[in-house]
Amino acid sequence: MKKILVVDDEENIRFLYKEELEEEGFAVELAKNGEEALEKLPSVHPDLITLDIKMPGMGGIEVLKRIREKDKQLPIILCSAYSDYKQDFSTWASDAYVVKCADLTELKSTIRRLLGL
Amino acid sequence: MSTPFDPDRLSQALLRHATASLPASSKLNQMLQSVSEAFHSDRCLLFTPETIQKGGFLHRVFSERKTLWVDDGSVFAGDTPLPEEKDLIQPSFACLPLSDETSSDGILYISFSRKRTFSPSEVDLLTLATLVLRDVIRGDHLRLRTDEVVSQVSALDELGKAVTSTLKLNDLLELILRTVASLLRAKGGVLRIEDRRTGELKVRRRLGDYDKNPVDEKLSKQVLFTQTPVSLDHFDEGHPSLSVLSAPLISNRKSIGTLTFYDKDSVPPKFDERDFQLLVTAANQISSSIENALIHFETFQRAREQETRAKQLATLWELNKALLASMDLDRILHIALTMITHGEGLRYNRAMLFLVNEKERALRGVMAVGPDSPEQASQIWNSLAQNKATHLDLIPQIPPSPPDTSVLNAIVKRTHISLDKNDCFLVRTILEGKPLIHQNPCHGEACHLSFEPGCSLGNIPGLTSTTSGFATVPVMGKGKVIGVIAVDNIYNQHPITETDLEFLNMFANQAGLAIENGFLYRNLEDVHQQLKETQDLLVHQEKMVALGEMSSTIAHEIRNPLVSIGGFARRLYRSLPAEASGKRYSQTIIVEVARLEKILNDIMQYTNGETVSFNECNLREILEDSLSMTSEESVNGVQLVREFADDLPKVRGDYQQLKQTFFNLITNAHHSVKDKGTIFVRAYPFSLSGSASVRVEVEDNGTGIDPQHLHHIFNPFYTTKESSLGLGLATVHKVVTSHRGQIEVDNRYGKGVRFIITLPAGGTAETDRNVSS
Repeated sequence: MKKILVVDDEENIRFLYKEELEEEGFAVELAKNGEEALEKLPSVHPDLITLDIKMPGMGGIEVLKRIREKDKQLPIILCSAYSDYKQDFSTWASDAYVVKCADLTELKSTIRRLLGL
Repeated sequence: MSTPFDPDRLSQALLRHATASLPASSKLNQMLQSVSEAFHSDRCLLFTPETIQKGGFLHRVFSERKTLWVDDGSVFAGDTPLPEEKDLIQPSFACLPLSDETSSDGILYISFSRKRTFSPSEVDLLTLATLVLRDVIRGDHLRLRTDEVVSQVSALDELGKAVTSTLKLNDLLELILRTVASLLRAKGGVLRIEDRRTGELKVRRRLGDYDKNPVDEKLSKQVLFTQTPVSLDHFDEGHPSLSVLSAPLISNRKSIGTLTFYDKDSVPPKFDERDFQLLVTAANQISSSIENALIHFETFQRAREQETRAKQLATLWELNKALLASMDLDRILHIALTMITHGEGLRYNRAMLFLVNEKERALRGVMAVGPDSPEQASQIWNSLAQNKATHLDLIPQIPPSPPDTSVLNAIVKRTHISLDKNDCFLVRTILEGKPLIHQNPCHGEACHLSFEPGCSLGNIPGLTSTTSGFATVPVMGKGKVIGVIAVDNIYNQHPITETDLEFLNMFANQAGLAIENGFLYRNLEDVHQQLKETQDLLVHQEKMVALGEMSSTIAHEIRNPLVSIGGFARRLYRSLPAEASGKRYSQTIIVEVARLEKILNDIMQYTNGETVSFNECNLREILEDSLSMTSEESVNGVQLVREFADDLPKVRGDYQQLKQTFFNLITNAHHSVKDKGTIFVRAYPFSLSGSASVRVEVEDNGTGIDPQHLHHIFNPFYTTKESSLGLGLATVHKVVTSHRGQIEVDNRYGKGVRFIITLPAGGTAETDRNVSS
């Protein structure tokens, strides 16, 4: 079973993602900010990470950088409330950029694609 | 035999005659008479020096001052007498010279027809007679001399008084010439004064026209140079009897002129030594007076010049004040030109201003002031004459530009002359940077423009006519020529002189500075305006950026809750059975959330257009990307036709924005055709007015756009759809504009619509390789 680490500062979003992704058959771990995500990384060993960009403290981009320093292979999806025009500077570091939407279809299909499922 | 010889009687008679107050000739006659009577001589004569012929025995007596006695006891021998003297040889005669050791005044001759001897007492007596005779002659000479000298002195005195009576140069010179001429009894004279500036020895005064004879000039020059007076007779073969006296006028050891006199009115018509001396004395006396008068005259001239200069400077000063008081360029020009036609020291009939247009390399007529006809001209002059106010008072009243009725102004303003036409007077003035006077142009000298059909400058009446001249001065500003002012006197035909032009040149330069300032100020105003606009734009952009940021923040804030709401609503929906009432409710929530999300997307894409990054974009890639985004929206039945050219040039732009733009258009097309119809997407290179561009077309055969609303379609928040914010096309328009492109709408209401976007090509066209999407 693949493990996904969901990083988002909104509790309800974390809740939603956990419900939805567990229903899809994934194991889900949660982190509420960048620091917590980095702390949990060594112990959780996720197969994929979804990162919210706008978070208090360390922002998603920063976390992305830190993770990439250690692990270039780990699939990372940037989730954001911003529209996709910002893709240009993040594209090279993340594997995908998904605009947050109530309909999680795109997110799910992106996760499956990146995990080769 | 008559009375006996009485020596005493003779002596007394001689004394009596000598002292009588009678003219000398009478006295001499009487004395001779007495001698003749006393001696009973046949002949008793007095020979004056002029009557003694040279070469005869009389002359010998005269020059040797030795008495010749021929009497009983001696025979005349020796010199051969002259034929005229033959009958003087008598049996007895005597020739006694009236002389002393130094000179002779004549000869006393006494002769007898018979031989006799002269007794010693007779000899004594005769000798006495010669003394007395001589004394009378001498006395007479002296008297004559004295008279002459007295008259000369009084004449000179008169001259002196005359000369100091006036300082008026011309009067003085006339007086001198006439007075001295009358003193010398000359028929003609010439007074020349050397012109200090040119060195020419100019005739200032003349009596008769002796100065026309070229010898006069030569002689005068010689006298002037050598500072030596000259007296000549028979020097002119044409007039062999002409006699001339010429003296230099010397003051402070410098020659200032010459005084020459011709043709003495006497017999013989020759000037003599006394005349010469008189002239020399007169010349000396009057030279310094002439010098004074000359100086005075020159000083007067200078003073007049200074006065004129001062007036001119006053005009310039007033102009300056007026010009600097105004920053309005047109007003400055109008004031300058008006002063040229009315100002003190200027007063030309018409003045025209042309300025150089650097970009066009041409001369443009800017303004002209002047009457349009002779009638108008005299009208203006009359009213000016009546209006006592000076031009200076009128300056503040001068309006900013010539009246609209001015034909001259209208013509000049339409004038346009290329700077390459360097046979044009105006252009030459610009290129040479010098004032030019063009007086009475005729033949080939006329301004070329008068012969060119259609050239508007040739239409200015009189400017190129053959009856009046015109002049041009360059207008200098900041060290280079910025224009030219042309003036003429077409109505009163006053000639334009070099000195007039000098002042106009000065004036033009002042005006040039003011004009340059005016331009700078105008530029300043323009620049200021531009800066203001830029500032406004920046403020607007900042606002937009702030708005964009705000929107981003708001969108973010709104999005997250929406995700939660919509997400859980979907979960609810999925978990409920079909018949459950909650199913419908949760569906509603889902739909509304989706609607809100769309609104957010629209706003985001519209306001985030500020932060773009321009790169080289491959349109094909972008179009394919847009099409793939819309594939979810496509419904079966809709045909999609792609027509992409192979050599599509790259475009400089923002990938995302362009993608969004095409996405919006394609989405609209889908909405229009709904589930049946065709959508065409084309891209091909295009040449827009010669510049390389790319065209992208999105066409559908749906319903088209209601023509009534056609001009609203690009307005933000304009929409015909219920679930749309109306920002789609507004975004398209914004993006196209920011990419320096154009968008056109080819609308066929009821049949469909075609949107055509033209973007400038920003890279080299390259053959599109077959890229697998």
